[in-house]
Amino acid sequence: MISKRTARLTALSATLIFVSTTAVLLARQLNLGPTRPAPDFRTFGPAAAAVQIYEYTDFACPACRHAALALEDMLKIYGPAIRLSFKHYPLNIIHPWSMAAAAYADCAGEQGKFRDYAAMLFESQGKWGQAKEKPAEFETFAKKLGLDWEKMQACSAAPATLKAVKFDMAEGNVKGVNATPTFFINGKRAVGGGQLLEQARKFDALLRKAR
Amino acid sequence: MSEKTDPKEIFGLLARLAVGGVFIYSGVIKALSPAEEFAYAIETYKVLGAGPSLWAAYAVPWVELYAGLLLAAGVFTRWSGLFTAAMLVFFEVLLAQAWSRGLPVTSCGCFGAGSSNSLAYEFFQNLVFLALLWPALRRGRSFSADAVVGKE
Repeated sequence: MISKRTARLTALSATLIFVSTTAVLLARQLNLGPTRPAPDFRTFGPAAAAVQIYEYTDFACPACRHAALALEDMLKIYGPAIRLSFKHYPLNIIHPWSMAAAAYADCAGEQGKFRDYAAMLFESQGKWGQAKEKPAEFETFAKKLGLDWEKMQACSAAPATLKAVKFDMAEGNVKGVNATPTFFINGKRAVGGGQLLEQARKFDALLRKAR
Repeated sequence: MSEKTDPKEIFGLLARLAVGGVFIYSGVIKALSPAEEFAYAIETYKVLGAGPSLWAAYAVPWVELYAGLLLAAGVFTRWSGLFTAAMLVFFEVLLAQAWSRGLPVTSCGCFGAGSSNSLAYEFFQNLVFLALLWPALRRGRSFSADAVVGKE
């Protein structure tokens, strides 16, 4: 038989544990946790930009392709007021080659051509996205951009490259990403191009506040 | 006759809050980050394989958070203090073996995978926390949930 004092302290412990667990889980959903910076070659715009966008994307995802075009327009319109960071979130179950595409894109990034390679991947996602065998497009794009293909192959198989993609995916899971594209615009979540454009309408007000 | 508070009790309280606060912060910062990052940091200590490191990475942040909370609030102060001390001793053993083996541990993992203090720094920091636990347990129970519940 436990004493009243022990029972009260046990109840207090349980309450503290319950409240803290709930708070942390809520904080995850509200994206209050730290976000690892993306590598330099996947980041566009100044560090001090008023609008910070993190995009969790899959190169085989059609919605991501449309969003990529919208983002290019935004970068042209708002210029240095936006900082865009790409994070990989390949949906491996429905897009069997997305993980490989992400790895190759990073390896192209290490040779200074992430953006161009990514654009090619998005543009021809219909061809390589559901290929039965390893798509030849990965090599074709590399050669078109004048990249060292052997170096890219070695890089894409390197544990560090796959680790970087997996960490992005794990970070996305913690933040409750379960669809692509998912954006975090100054910490606020937007899923899909429509919500991104909705948020973009507030950019002018955000930028006026920042001046 | 007025009751004066012993300064040692105030120091004990501050020590309890400091160590508890560090554990709360450490637990929260890791719980809000992907477990895989912390698991990778654990793997670099070459004590656990990839699988057990991931399980440890899922569990440890929550254990730190709860231990820190109970210690800071002064709930079962003696036991939460001893448990925190045991955790610190365990971390010291891990750090010491990595240090003596010359393992290339770039991120101790103590405050998230992004933190990059050296092993020596973390080792001596933990010694300070262990030292603070002594006054926390000896003198820091006057202002605690234990004391409040005990009075009722």
